[in-house]
Amino acid sequence: MNESEPIDCRAVTHQLYEFLDGELSAAAKARVQAHLADCAHCFELADFETAYLRFLEAHARARGAPAHLRRRILDELLSGPEPPASR
Amino acid sequence: MPPSVPPDREGFEREALVHLDAVFRTALRLSGNPTEAEDLAQETMLKAFRSWHQYRAGTNAKAWLLTILRNTFVNQYRREKRRPATVDVTDIEPFTVFRDVQDADPERTFFDRLVDGDVIRAIDRLPEEFREVLVLSDVEGLTYAEIAAAVGTPVGTVKSRLFRARQILQRDLYDYAVEAGYITRRGAS
Repeated sequence: MNESEPIDCRAVTHQLYEFLDGELSAAAKARVQAHLADCAHCFELADFETAYLRFLEAHARARGAPAHLRRRILDELLSGPEPPASR
Repeated sequence: MPPSVPPDREGFEREALVHLDAVFRTALRLSGNPTEAEDLAQETMLKAFRSWHQYRAGTNAKAWLLTILRNTFVNQYRREKRRPATVDVTDIEPFTVFRDVQDADPERTFFDRLVDGDVIRAIDRLPEEFREVLVLSDVEGLTYAEIAAAVGTPVGTVKSRLFRARQILQRDLYDYAVEAGYITRRGAS
């Protein structure tokens, strides 16, 4: 695809997550940005998906490792030999 | 900065063991069983310690650990052989709930009503190949390239699986919110 060619809603929809994840090339990113500036529907969609990803980030972590697991691993590390040193 | 971190116990504790929470969380999402997740996390950490000299200083230690974890899970813990899913992102009609939400819940209150447990349970319902990429990306913050290395697939596959995973999860959470009465689906009442 021509780098300067505008893209349509469908293409934006398919690239939206890559765009939000910061995984697009500079040229592709610019194309999506240009479309979002012009298209209210896609702009709203991008806003919604951004909120969704933030929501996931905030709610999907749950609990960390239990304290006894950390102790168990530390005990193992202390009882074992040192790992091979690099030269 | 020194050219490489000396592969000592102290360095390992400082750079790797600090990621134990991430390793345990991911183990739990992969195995679905807290006891197994502890064993899996412990084994991952001990393997990582033994190969600490292979870790390249300055790279993402968490991504390195999660790669070891994922390999350990696949080789030793996973009971069922999974069928390879081939999904091409261009074949997927997006099924974002955006339109439904615009109609039924423009303030997006359902995001506020859902709690951690709802989200975790919905993640656990995802098919494994979607669950693992979603967890590595959206819970642990790995890049597409890091996920591709951890899962052993091309970046394009990560991209399409992640797209699909996020959309399935979104639809599932939305349906759950409707069922729980957090949203009234338009025309439903």
